[in-house]
Amino acid sequence: MSETPRSDAIDRRELSAEQQAAVEELLFRLADDEFVHAERLTEWQIYAPTLESDLAIANIAQDEFGHARLWYDLLKQLGYTEPECLWERDPTEWTHSLLVERPFDAGDWGDAVLRGYLYDAAERIRLEAVADTSYAPLADRVGKALEEEAYHREHATNWLERLTADDDGRARMQDALDELFPAALSLFDPGPREDDIVAFGFRTESLAAMRTEWLETIGPALEALGLDVPDPDQVARPNGRGRYGTHTDAWHDLYDEFTATYREVDFETPAQLRATEE
Amino acid sequence: MTMPTNAPMDAEACTFTDFSEGDPSSEYPKTGAEADGIEAEVWKALYEVEDPEMPVSIVDLGLIYDVDVADGRCDVEMTLTYTGCPAREMLLNDVKCAAETVPAVDEATVELRYTPEWNVNMVTEEGKDSLRDFGLSV
Repeated sequence: MSETPRSDAIDRRELSAEQQAAVEELLFRLADDEFVHAERLTEWQIYAPTLESDLAIANIAQDEFGHARLWYDLLKQLGYTEPECLWERDPTEWTHSLLVERPFDAGDWGDAVLRGYLYDAAERIRLEAVADTSYAPLADRVGKALEEEAYHREHATNWLERLTADDDGRARMQDALDELFPAALSLFDPGPREDDIVAFGFRTESLAAMRTEWLETIGPALEALGLDVPDPDQVARPNGRGRYGTHTDAWHDLYDEFTATYREVDFETPAQLRATEE
Repeated sequence: MTMPTNAPMDAEACTFTDFSEGDPSSEYPKTGAEADGIEAEVWKALYEVEDPEMPVSIVDLGLIYDVDVADGRCDVEMTLTYTGCPAREMLLNDVKCAAETVPAVDEATVELRYTPEWNVNMVTEEGKDSLRDFGLSV
């Protein structure tokens, strides 16, 4: 990325209240998607089909956690604490898309591969759409994340080719596509401050334009593998809107799971070597 | 060594990861060679901090982007080799503590920066020698 910030770049101390609310929405959308996607990917650890694929998907999850941290760190600079961003945040306030919260059916590696593909294609587009952001602290971080994403797409594409190489595999991938595609569309659903995000230059593309680019990216690629991409205007959308803070039941289960340790550890009481005698 | 290891190892198209790309700005890596006074002492202290996995100084790795000292307060800017680096908190603390070993520094802060993006071309020749001694081909 360019090392020269935009001449109209805005630093965090210069944000108006309206600007801060808009940049927070943008950052939470980015961070929540990365965090929840990574959280789901870790479920594959020790279950992926080969040792190499196990290591690869664990590394991808680690990268996505790293990216989530990039964006949550910017929220911390705006005054949020880590518990407010993650461990104590009401699950209904999370703004990730419905794609990333979906549970995996046991052993459905095709879901993991296709989900990664749909997500990573969208992630490239959304990172490029903030590469020239007016928010200076965000501009500093985008290039590094984009650079790391190239491996993810290469991984997904390699596996997609292999899994669609025969009729049986292609039929299973088609089922996965029919399931995931409607949920993936929620990646591009707007939040309440969408207009401000674009008007203030925090993102330089509209969600509508990004959605079009995503459809034009994944459509021909998947069709070249013999898959039928559903018509985005015809598919039935899942319950819950993701971006609006409403989610499927699976999200609430996942949230309870990854916050369990935080809730169970009693931070107020120092750990003791021996239990107190009665 | 906190390098990216996220290459799909089972993919034919990517049997190894090429870290040679990247054209860092000519001012990097920064090693403090031109620093003087208290800042030179801070750079010297930072040289003592090693990567948590490999015997190489983080200065030679090219992770330190800036050192600025004024009125006993030291601000260090640094990067990480990749964003998911699990040693982040440890490294930030090591750098802060190292800077604060300099008698004229009362307090040090460490801030992360990701531009320019680190790549292996930002390792100094001394750092490459250390990595080669350790068995890496760089």
